[in-house]
Amino acid sequence: MQIFTSGMFWFVEGILFMVVILGTRAWVRDRGLAVSAWTWALFVLWLGFAGFTLAFVGTSLGEGEPTAATRGGLLFGMIAIVSGVGIWRLFGAGEQRDRERVGSVESGS
Amino acid sequence: MRAEAEEDRETTPRRRRFAFLVALVLLAGALSWGRSRDAPKVESPIRQIFPQAEIIKVREDVHAVYDEEGGLLGWAGTGRGRGYGGPLTLLVGIDTLGKVAGVEVLENRETPIFWRMVRAPEYFRAIRGESFDSLSWEYADVAGVTGATLSAQAIVQGVQTSVIKVAATAFDTRIPVPPRPFEFGLLEIVVLVLFAMGILGLRLRGPLRRRARWASQVGSLVVLGFWKDSPVTLAKISAFLSGYLPDPRVQMAMYFLVAGFVLTSFLYGRNLYCLYACPFGAAQRIVGVIGGSGLKVSPRWARLLGGVRDVVVFAALFIAFLSARPVLASYEPFAALFSLRGTTLQWLLLFVVLVASLAVRTPWCSFFCPMRSVEVALQDLRNWMKGKGSGGPPGKLVAGRRPSAVEVVAAVSALVVMGLIVGILAQGALYAP
Repeated sequence: MQIFTSGMFWFVEGILFMVVILGTRAWVRDRGLAVSAWTWALFVLWLGFAGFTLAFVGTSLGEGEPTAATRGGLLFGMIAIVSGVGIWRLFGAGEQRDRERVGSVESGS
Repeated sequence: MRAEAEEDRETTPRRRRFAFLVALVLLAGALSWGRSRDAPKVESPIRQIFPQAEIIKVREDVHAVYDEEGGLLGWAGTGRGRGYGGPLTLLVGIDTLGKVAGVEVLENRETPIFWRMVRAPEYFRAIRGESFDSLSWEYADVAGVTGATLSAQAIVQGVQTSVIKVAATAFDTRIPVPPRPFEFGLLEIVVLVLFAMGILGLRLRGPLRRRARWASQVGSLVVLGFWKDSPVTLAKISAFLSGYLPDPRVQMAMYFLVAGFVLTSFLYGRNLYCLYACPFGAAQRIVGVIGGSGLKVSPRWARLLGGVRDVVVFAALFIAFLSARPVLASYEPFAALFSLRGTTLQWLLLFVVLVASLAVRTPWCSFFCPMRSVEVALQDLRNWMKGKGSGGPPGKLVAGRRPSAVEVVAAVSALVVMGLIVGILAQGALYAP
């Protein structure tokens, strides 16, 4: 549990943060999705919240508070999962818009 | 084949009705046994308050306490307050100078997690040594900043009634008590508006009905959920059935909610509380919109889960009636969501249910909510009175088809939820104060 109260934990969380942002950016580019600026903003906010959830659980465990870690993890984890699914669907909505646009261009030509 | 199906259609409601009657008889037995138990013993708590007590002349409500030489030490009076889970009985000791010598709790039916939130020991310590005629009856002294207002009010009410009895019997003094007005505020208005919208919704069609339902559910989520944390729970129904009626001056909204639930189920054959006024249903619906909630549970699994839920509700009520503690019937995760208070098991249950709401439409309402069982029972009763068949789902499985992977995942999740519910009930029964 020592790792959760050390600087190493924050280092790992920072790496995770960057990996997820860069990975999502690459995924969006590969699929040619049109993701609006506010969806990106929401995604970054969500990522911050998910990082906070991880940090809350980790630091609570590190401080010897397993009950706080469990309850906080369940509450924040639940919010993170539900909002994460919502944002995922927003990305999907972008994908659907693209498909509709391609479809209308093809039928037009 | 057709004859067999015909026979099934006839025998299933009959079996349901028979099971319902057996359950009713067992519950009535548990209730009468729970209610007939002896009144709490006062000798030991009196000795806690007056350690030198040797002779206690036990009377109905006010007991005289003497030391070994027959010298009068004081009096101890019992008094009741109406809390969330039923009556709360307290014993207040008053010495010969008319000062509070101590307070002991004789009967406590409050939810353990909320009972721990009130500052009862601090309040009891604070009033010790105070003259009985200088006590203030402000429940805020007990509640502090917590959300357990009803428990705090019950404590003050219990102390107050005890002191009044001792003052009248031993000191021949009448303590004036200001009359308690009926509290009719925003909560009561909102509840009435929600039911009115439900009745209106029955007459509307299409998008208008959907909008009315969304508006009322969002209102219910905000007011009945996050602001007042007042959803109808099995504990409330159990308290009503046990005869532990809440104080209508304080909890008028709860009367409206329970009456609305029962009356609309009877009058319209549809329970408008669940459709329009349940804040937890609203929370699931909103999560469902976020997640799409497109997964359908097959009717046979729905029937199976409904049957298991009925058994769990019966067990919960049986435990509550037998122990004369209505709060033990409550296994809903509502408090965890609306006041962020609950046991770890309740938090886990909330987590599983809300995450499942992303994929399945209102899973708690459809398969696990005890109010659904109560609703089906009421509809059965209504149909029986009208001479129709069973209103609820027949408790029969159609065998023969292999379950799909989705059904297996749903079944395992349902099993987890049921396990959590049983765990919550067992925890409540084992660790209640």
